Amino acid sequence: MSDHLFLQISNISIYIGFILLLISLIPLGMSISSKRSSKYANIAVWIVTIAFILELAYFIFRWLATGHAPVSNLFEFIAMFSIMLIFGYLVTYHYYKTKVFGLFAIPISLLLLGYGALFSTDVAPLIPALQSNWLAIHVITVTISYGILSMSAVAGIIYLIKIVPADEKSWRTFFLEGISYFVIVIFTFMIMMIVMRGIVNYEADFYYVNQQGEEEVVTYHLPSLVNYDDAIPVKNIGGNEYDKADHFTTGIELPPIIKAHSLNTVIWSVGVGLIIYGLLRLIARRRLYTLFKPLANKADLNLMDDIGYRSVIIGFPLFALGGLFFAAIWAQAAWSRFWGWDPKETWAFITFMFYTIFLHLRINRGYEGEKSAWLAVAGFFLILFNLVAINLIVAGLHSYA
Amino acid sequence: MSKENEYIECPHCGHVNPPGTQLCQSCGLLINDDYDKKKIKDVMRYDGSAVRSKVKSSSLFDKIWIFFTSIRNGVIIIALIAIASAIGTILPQEYFIPVGVDAADYYKEHYGTFGTLYYNLGFHNLYSSWWFLLLNAMLALSIIAASIDRGVPLFKSLKNQGVKKHPSYYKRQRIYLHNEEASKDDVESLVKDLEKKRYKVRKEENSYLLEKGRLSRYGPYINHTGLIILLIGSMLRFFPGMYLDELVYAPEGETVKLPGTDSKYYIKNDEFIIDTYDKDAGTVFDKSLENQEALASNYQTNITFYENETSDIVGSEPELKEVDRAEIKVNHPFKFDGYHLYQSSFDNSAMKSMTFEIQDDDGNVISEPFEINLKDPEEEFTIKGTDNTDFDIRLRAYAPDFLEIGSNGGLISQTPVPRNPAFIFEVKDNDNNEEYSLIQIQDTTEITEDNMYNVKFVSMENEMSSVLTLKKDKTLFLIASGFIIFLIGVFIGSYVNHRRIWINSDNGLTLAAHTNRNYYSISKEINEILEKRNLGEVVDSDSKVHDERMKG
Repeated sequence: MSDHLFLQISNISIYIGFILLLISLIPLGMSISSKRSSKYANIAVWIVTIAFILELAYFIFRWLATGHAPVSNLFEFIAMFSIMLIFGYLVTYHYYKTKVFGLFAIPISLLLLGYGALFSTDVAPLIPALQSNWLAIHVITVTISYGILSMSAVAGIIYLIKIVPADEKSWRTFFLEGISYFVIVIFTFMIMMIVMRGIVNYEADFYYVNQQGEEEVVTYHLPSLVNYDDAIPVKNIGGNEYDKADHFTTGIELPPIIKAHSLNTVIWSVGVGLIIYGLLRLIARRRLYTLFKPLANKADLNLMDDIGYRSVIIGFPLFALGGLFFAAIWAQAAWSRFWGWDPKETWAFITFMFYTIFLHLRINRGYEGEKSAWLAVAGFFLILFNLVAINLIVAGLHSYA
Repeated sequence: MSKENEYIECPHCGHVNPPGTQLCQSCGLLINDDYDKKKIKDVMRYDGSAVRSKVKSSSLFDKIWIFFTSIRNGVIIIALIAIASAIGTILPQEYFIPVGVDAADYYKEHYGTFGTLYYNLGFHNLYSSWWFLLLNAMLALSIIAASIDRGVPLFKSLKNQGVKKHPSYYKRQRIYLHNEEASKDDVESLVKDLEKKRYKVRKEENSYLLEKGRLSRYGPYINHTGLIILLIGSMLRFFPGMYLDELVYAPEGETVKLPGTDSKYYIKNDEFIIDTYDKDAGTVFDKSLENQEALASNYQTNITFYENETSDIVGSEPELKEVDRAEIKVNHPFKFDGYHLYQSSFDNSAMKSMTFEIQDDDGNVISEPFEINLKDPEEEFTIKGTDNTDFDIRLRAYAPDFLEIGSNGGLISQTPVPRNPAFIFEVKDNDNNEEYSLIQIQDTTEITEDNMYNVKFVSMENEMSSVLTLKKDKTLFLIASGFIIFLIGVFIGSYVNHRRIWINSDNGLTLAAHTNRNYYSISKEINEILEKRNLGEVVDSDSKVHDERMKG
């Protein structure tokens, strides 16, 4: 079966692409300090280009295998976003030849891809609402615009790391350090999931009655710190049969309106993340973002500011086109209304409004430099929120991705 | 009258400028030094023209005008709309909760005190609340006011701009060059070369004005116009005849009238189809399908489409003429006469028929099963018994949606929809023994005592109905055009550069240039030519200032 072969090629491609991106960081790092800087930079960009081509191969072969654009579930969507981040980086590099940029953009792309791979990577057929050419057109345009808008955040973060002093007691140091902590939390979450779910294979099933009064069984991959009201530890004895069992719980129970098992994961990530952060802080003896200052100091602030602005004026109309206009055309065909204030639609609208504010402040009120950098970084968090959190927290029409 | 309302005559060239003008529309001399305290860039943004909101401030109208023209206030309004929109996603809006449920109870039951608060604040219908609409109206006003306030004077000033400019105007620009050695021929060939770069050239005596990409300056006003068209389009929906949104409930095999079409159109649901994916088709999907319930691959209603030929005769019986047959699928609505008919959902909760049989006291089945159509039940019929006895059955009373037994012994129905059917059967055997029983779902009550024949429920068949959405939206075109204009405006504003070069050959070469963005690129363009002619080099005087500012 050629379909199975295609799928295999696709899976291998993205895997090698991931490894290559990881490897590319070495020559890229060397190009910053080395004397033969441009040689290393060239090697790095070649590796990134090959990785990007492999990622495109993942996309094409997965499409061939399934017969539809591979942008139909959360993994595929996050993967596409991460691929477009690399695309954005390559475009930026082509115009600005900035080396430091990749050292920030590539890890973000890798982190995203790794995070996305924690969700089911199986291919699934399309439900009727998704069977439309607009799926490919809408999602690909949106992810390209996300990739480009992310460049403005990467430029922003480099700008901020360079300009925000190492030892100042202020809001800006607090928020910037908050971002380092956030990255650590995401890392912690990924490692815990890989270890506990993949290696240790920790599974604790709990039976509970959900908000709608239906009986449900939920699997905890991390020891239960918080659980649902009157949850009963059970184990699967084949099929849909469950028997009482003994699992670790703290006995803290929450009403079913709160998704206790998600909250449990969040508490673990935030908590263990805090411990890891504390340890790193003890070892480094200074704020973690300052560790990246030697890198960021190599960057030209004007250039970063320019990249930050330009990626918004390219990404913003593209987002309006893909995220609102194409989306509306499709919604009109699939759901009979072009706009319906579905949570995902609403957050796309909020993203649009946010960048509108960004542009007005920048063009008319002189928000350049640091202010603009902060806004660009905030925009990236908004995108992440709409991409990931809305799907996981709020159930709407977009619940598939 | 204060000075701010007076027309200003330019002391240099005599041009009469509207009140509040900063740079003379004709020669560019600074004629209103109140404004010089600001940066040069600001004066040039609207070409030194009189921006109403910056000039007048006396009347109430002016105060309101100033409020709405302020970019700061506009940004605040945008931010408020964004924040309000976000609040609306914390809990599901009312239109996402199950139909027919009391909203107040729903929010309380599912989300506790917070839910009640959310409901009481009206956040469950946030996007149609008066204050959300008001915010949007304020945004529209802000867009209109800000655009007129700046766009009109800018347009006038660019339209009326003179070629000859005061020396101070030259020096004011970020790109400025003075080369005394250059000859008139040098200047002329310089202008020729620039003309090849698609500059439009105007000449007056020894002065030249070269300009290209003026449209760029109108980008913001074009995109704002698009947004206003879009907003007007979404308002039009509230006018009769512009917008129709109806649910069509079409049971399989039945012909129904399409609501809102003045009885002109009918459809018959010939068949409703649900297809599901095959779990072991040997495809790449097997793995993901394995662990879940059947996944639908298609929802489809096959319809026959009729036109009623007597629709314009009031009170007449419909005469249906078949016009078309169609398959309506998700993503593929059926289109006719400006209407769209969409596959929305389906419903098989309504009951269609029930099957019964007769049992004796010991529970032995003693008759063939018989079916009762719940919409149009037969009242009298005969069924075969097992031992050659026939039974005459009479349906003495029937309530499709049983409420209670009436005073006359009949059955009272709550609605005509078969939701909770109840029957009173009369069963007569060959010996004419009559027995009555009341049958409800899962319940048989003997009305006559010691019945020998018990009518027992066997099975029930549900009716499959397709739920379609009928839409007509004449506002779509306007809304889509508005958005496209918006995008074009953003594109023009972001990617087209407005460039002007002023050249004077009175005293060697004097050159100044202005662009609304990317001074680097215009300097490069000019320098290429200057270099060729050996006339010197221009530098963006502001780039240093810019650098300093960046470093904070």
